[in-house]
Amino acid sequence: MTTATSDTARLPLSVIMPVGKRHAANIAALYAEYKVGLASLDVPYEFIVVLDGPRPEVAAALQRLLERGESLIVISLTKRFGEATALMAGFQRASGRVIVTAPAYHQIQGAELGKLVRALDKADVAIGRRWPRVGSRFEVIRRDAFHRLIATGGQRFNDLGCGARAMKRRVLEEISLYGDQHRFLPVLANRQGFRIVEVDVAQSPLDRYDGGYPPKEYLHRVLDIFTVFFLVRFTKKPLRFFGMVGATTFVIGALLVAYLAIDRLVFLHPLADRPALLLSSLLVVLGMQLFALGLLGELIIFTHARDIKDYQVDEVVRYPEAVTGNRAAAPVGTEVTRSHVV
Amino acid sequence: MTPEVSIVVPLYNEEDSLRPLYAAITHAVAPLGISFEIIFVDDGSRDATVRIADEIARSDPRVCLVKFRRNYGQTPAMAAGIAQASGDVIVTMDGDLQNDPTDIGALLRKIDEGYDIVVGWRFDRQDKLVSRKIPSRIANKLIAKVTGVPIKDNGCSLKAYRASLIKKIPLYSEMHRFIPAMASIAGPKIAEIKVQHHARQFGQSKYGLSRIYKVLLDLMVIKTVASFTARPMLWFGMLSVPMLLAATVAFATTIVTLVSDGTYSLPIAGCGVIFLSSAIILLGSGAIGELVYKLGDMREHEFSGLTQQIRVRSLIIQ
Repeated sequence: MTTATSDTARLPLSVIMPVGKRHAANIAALYAEYKVGLASLDVPYEFIVVLDGPRPEVAAALQRLLERGESLIVISLTKRFGEATALMAGFQRASGRVIVTAPAYHQIQGAELGKLVRALDKADVAIGRRWPRVGSRFEVIRRDAFHRLIATGGQRFNDLGCGARAMKRRVLEEISLYGDQHRFLPVLANRQGFRIVEVDVAQSPLDRYDGGYPPKEYLHRVLDIFTVFFLVRFTKKPLRFFGMVGATTFVIGALLVAYLAIDRLVFLHPLADRPALLLSSLLVVLGMQLFALGLLGELIIFTHARDIKDYQVDEVVRYPEAVTGNRAAAPVGTEVTRSHVV
Repeated sequence: MTPEVSIVVPLYNEEDSLRPLYAAITHAVAPLGISFEIIFVDDGSRDATVRIADEIARSDPRVCLVKFRRNYGQTPAMAAGIAQASGDVIVTMDGDLQNDPTDIGALLRKIDEGYDIVVGWRFDRQDKLVSRKIPSRIANKLIAKVTGVPIKDNGCSLKAYRASLIKKIPLYSEMHRFIPAMASIAGPKIAEIKVQHHARQFGQSKYGLSRIYKVLLDLMVIKTVASFTARPMLWFGMLSVPMLLAATVAFATTIVTLVSDGTYSLPIAGCGVIFLSSAIILLGSGAIGELVYKLGDMREHEFSGLTQQIRVRSLIIQ
């Protein structure tokens, strides 16, 4: 539980910049850009840089900034853990009531960062959308397909790749991210019932790709979609997923077996030279295996059910001093306690 | 001053029913002479439910409101309410006025008699016959058969539990229908009493026929976790028996034909290999299951402690 007192003791704003493999050549220039954007908010803030794995040249640049007297917090991870893990590492150090994540390369114009924080008036998470945006025709189609797939059964987002986001502290406290899931933060937050807005931000002129990504990257995106689909829909009910797929496979296999059996027993066609027998028994076996996997998943959920909660309580309201009887308002001087459960 | 009874009511878009419901509950429970609290759980309603519940809470210290940020469903709502409840006995009921709070007294008397769970049975159910009552009757027969807990009406929300028991039972997915079955892991004493059921006054029924497939899968899950969690190896072993048999038959056929004719059929031998490997993988899954259970935090000995009765004959020492 967080109480109101610890909340007011916090800084208004923490900025986290996870630095991964792809980062700006001139970190100092990027930092200066962000500083301009944050200055427009006119609130005290802290700037946390998380180095995801050893990045000697970035570390050196940050060292120079620190020597110049810039107030930075630099966290270095000993090996590369992935952007989401780096983000969470930064969050553990962050003390702000609002958390802003900033991409480590010129993705948006740094001056636009303030816009995201201001958008939190009406939402819990504000995510940047690079607009207007440059990119090849292929990239546009690919991006559209990606977001369309992700949108099944939830809010539609337009630029999950944009690393500039602002969110209230509670959001990161309730969501656990790891590996490369940072992209799906809005999807997972939406799943937890947080309100999310997209804010148009100006794309940096330096945010260009030269000839797209390597093919491996596309494969990763496809697997990511599968991951998020599974995480969002079936984490708590593995049997719903494995059971469906498994049962379908099993039934197809069983029907085939039945057909072969009838063919053998009634029409006396020899079974021995039919490869269909192999196929059908494979299907039966595969179906059973998938089902067993689902059951194993259920076993895991059940035995760890105390740690896994299916829901998030927004607020528990109790008025212990209220006077019985149908008086609409509590009398003067009565303290109203509202506890936030996190 | 913890109350003796907590009444948990999940609410989803019940702006019309809420005030009459609150009045009915207080009216029914106050004469019983017990201290109680009412826990409203708002399951992400989009109408005025939260505002009305908040007003009620303002006027009555016995009322607590738990708010969800979005709609999660009836089971999470009940789980949240149960987690919040502080009474020794927890009563759950629907928020749509179809259950009658006057039955709470009868439920509590049964708990006093020593039962751990008391389930309401809507013997005179006021719902549509084809879309609600008949599927429900079939489902209840099936649930009773599979879980071995003979309850005529699992779908009735009006139930009373000992708090010490229900707070330990994991509730997730859409299991509120199966709480007694789930709780049967702990071997509780279950009673079923007739309760009244009213036709819907406000709003629409929120559930349809589409949940049948979910009920079936959940039933399978319950059966598995309730009866086999402690022995996953045994259970997966049982699954692998038919596979092993099929493999044996296939291999025997192959050997016989090989010896008698000097030739054998590739598909049949192949099937033998497939079935054998599947049996081995299933046994491996069983081993993983044992590991999971061993490392988990739900163990049989814990459940056995929930409802056990200890009688010690005291020695008379002069």
